[in-house]
Amino acid sequence: MNVLATESPGPLADVVVAALLVLACALIVLSALGVALMRGVYDRLHYTGPATLAAALVAAAVVVRESFSLIGDKAILLAVLLLVSAPLLAHVTARAARIREHGDWALRPDDGVEVEEP
Amino acid sequence: MNEWLIATLVVLAALGPCLWVAAREEAIEGLVGLNLAGVLASIALLLMAEGFQRQPFADLALVLALLSLAGSLAYARFLERRL
Repeated sequence: MNVLATESPGPLADVVVAALLVLACALIVLSALGVALMRGVYDRLHYTGPATLAAALVAAAVVVRESFSLIGDKAILLAVLLLVSAPLLAHVTARAARIREHGDWALRPDDGVEVEEP
Repeated sequence: MNEWLIATLVVLAALGPCLWVAAREEAIEGLVGLNLAGVLASIALLLMAEGFQRQPFADLALVLALLSLAGSLAYARFLERRL
């Protein structure tokens, strides 16, 4: 048995899988280049988002190919995990960067944000 | 080589810039590179699981995603201090 030959459910599914994978790869390359080329931690953080969307696209491609089998369910679980953890990580990283800059992450008068007192 | 393994190669190539940032830039910016590298490595394992028809690789992807999250949180907490 050739382990490199995957069973295909149909020609339309092949096209959909290929399109999803190409889109996911494009998003991943965009993410990696954005993180590498931007300057400053806040600018770089913006480019970690598209990679998690790429995880959702890859999971969708796996589900199209394998349906809701064991690996399909695992792919969905992985995509959900990454989609949930990405904002958490972005927030924690930005918070750490701000604390490194200012000593705490409280709002400062020179931030340009107006807060209404209750 | 099928489409899954080609996509795996693209993802592995995209790991290069992340590792470059993690290794060369300031610590807090390196953490951003580490975050993205964890996500990309998980995606690569999932793609390999499908490409090689080896379902246990998908378990590795899940475990790596969880451990990568925990590791990044620990690093972020540590980097809040000014060294």
